[in-house]
Amino acid sequence: MTTPELLTIILTTAVTMGTPLLFATLGGVLSERAGVIHLGMEGIMLVSALVTFVVDLQTGSKVLALIGAMMAAGALSGLHGFVCISLRGNQIASGLALALFGTGLSGLFGDALIGSTVTSLNRIPIPGLELIPIFGSAFFNQDWLVYLSYFLVAGLWFMLFHTNWGLQIRSVGEAPIVCDALGLSVAKIRYLCVIFGGMLIGLGGAYFPLVLTSFWVDDLTAGRGWIAVALVIFAFWHPGKALWGAYLFGAAIAFQLQAQVMGLKIPSYILEMFPYLLTIVVLTVVTVRNRRAGQTFMPAALGLPFYRGDKH
Amino acid sequence: MFELERRLETPLSVQVVVTVGSIVLALILGSVLLAVVGVDPIEAYPSVGALMFFDQWGWQDLFLKMTPLLLTGLGVAIAAQLNLWNIGAEGQLYLGAIATTWLALEYSEALDAHFMLPILLIGTFVAGGMWAAIPAGLRSWFGVNEIITTLLLNYVAISLADYLLYGAWRDPSTLNFPMTRSFGESSFLPMIGSTTVHWGLPLGIILAFLTWVLLKSTTIGFQIRVAGDNLSAADYAGFNTKNLLFIVLVLSGAVAALAGMTEVAGVHHRLQQNFSINYGYTGIIVSRLARNHPIGVIGTAFLLAVIFVGGELLQVEYQLPIAVIYLFEGLLLFTVIGSELFLSYRLRRRVAV
Repeated sequence: MTTPELLTIILTTAVTMGTPLLFATLGGVLSERAGVIHLGMEGIMLVSALVTFVVDLQTGSKVLALIGAMMAAGALSGLHGFVCISLRGNQIASGLALALFGTGLSGLFGDALIGSTVTSLNRIPIPGLELIPIFGSAFFNQDWLVYLSYFLVAGLWFMLFHTNWGLQIRSVGEAPIVCDALGLSVAKIRYLCVIFGGMLIGLGGAYFPLVLTSFWVDDLTAGRGWIAVALVIFAFWHPGKALWGAYLFGAAIAFQLQAQVMGLKIPSYILEMFPYLLTIVVLTVVTVRNRRAGQTFMPAALGLPFYRGDKH
Repeated sequence: MFELERRLETPLSVQVVVTVGSIVLALILGSVLLAVVGVDPIEAYPSVGALMFFDQWGWQDLFLKMTPLLLTGLGVAIAAQLNLWNIGAEGQLYLGAIATTWLALEYSEALDAHFMLPILLIGTFVAGGMWAAIPAGLRSWFGVNEIITTLLLNYVAISLADYLLYGAWRDPSTLNFPMTRSFGESSFLPMIGSTTVHWGLPLGIILAFLTWVLLKSTTIGFQIRVAGDNLSAADYAGFNTKNLLFIVLVLSGAVAALAGMTEVAGVHHRLQQNFSINYGYTGIIVSRLARNHPIGVIGTAFLLAVIFVGGELLQVEYQLPIAVIYLFEGLLLFTVIGSELFLSYRLRRRVAV
């Protein structure tokens, strides 16, 4: 195998493996920009993967399966929103509850499905672009969900930083008291961001049965939801940086898989640690750099419940 | 319409009603989901309850399950004293089990039998502390978010255990199931009387009281309590808060690692794959439910043990997957966090002004 060929294989796998991370990270960015931590991604992804699988199995329609997955993810996120926004519960604890609850739901209702299979999405090459050497087929010979993710990155970036809505969302995440005084409904904006963010996370979950594994196994997402939680932080809550972060992790997973295929003398269980250790190292570098520069990118009100009746 | 009014104080009766109410609500919500998968909760709950409390196997299993939950819960609660989130108890438990296994396999024959248990205890404690020193150091001196690092290290520790179980430590006589050979008997935690409950449980209870004493009656405990209330005030008072953060997170990991020791030395007598049913993650619920009180975790660990044994019985009696435990845990955590609002606020009929 020549080096360009190897590079293309790793890049292609990086994009495929990175795409569910990207969807989930974008969802986390949207929710956290409005001030609500979304730690329950693993649970949401597992449930939406299950719903996708079931709907696909029953109807054979990938679009219906996706819609079902997004509705389930939106509903679970709404529950998280209810606990965090209306009941002002601790967002981290609620996220953990969601992760456990989702794992439980997918395990309980997915038990009967173990062993069934669905068909995977086809690759749709984009004429012209796919011929670019090395990068072309990695980025432009993929399934349509990958292309959707490109538009979502651009769309979310534009919405957050160049529209009035985006300004309101970011303000609610930075200074809810001020927003409240200006007549914005903090709760409404937060609910919308948590629910729509959850739907994006649901797309990430749906990607597993639709593209990555065509048969149902217990714990299908295998911890990827937690990597997405970390990705939100080192993407600095920015959709564009989420893209690079997700592909970096996709590449780490691709490297791990490729090393096994090529029979490198590294035990597979040691390779499995690699994406997680890399996350920790990158997170440390990023944190130290930010502190040196005296910058914080974290939304100032992230994790703090807001209740307009509270006087401080 | 109703509105929320802040309570000036929270009477004990309200605390009891809210806590019991949230547990009951979780059971009701869970029963709905059980009904969906075809298990009649009106029949299942009493039969599971009877097997759990009135059967010798049942109550012994309750105490066995309570032990790791108490230790991981206590570990999480220690970190919570400084508002730190230790989500890495699962990995710390695995690392503790790895350390215990290494010591037991390596030194069982070389050392006098009487030294084995103290060595396992101290060795595991130190190993767990060293493992937790990674996120603790990163947090103290570089400001790296400990929630993410402790969480990611879980996967690293579990992979490390798998690596050893499929490699150097695998017992060649067990071809299908990856496990180490059994420890020598000097590395078994002794049982209490004629029961199957081992001494890990009293150990956990003693540690819970020691933690409480440490917090209440020592200088460092005082510093931790001040820093937990207000970190900048503690800085201003001249406490070395970076060291405090480090020590507390290291202690937290060391205690959680002991859960790994009690499981492998007390129950399985060997390291095997998937020996933990999310005991570490459940420790977070145990701590949260006790509002992070080191003695409170004794009670909440028992409560969570009820969910574990209940889940196991549902598994055996109704062929449900083990995930049913996670389902109930998630529900319980939801209702508990959701209900905390009513500890500090009460609903009041809105008065027209």
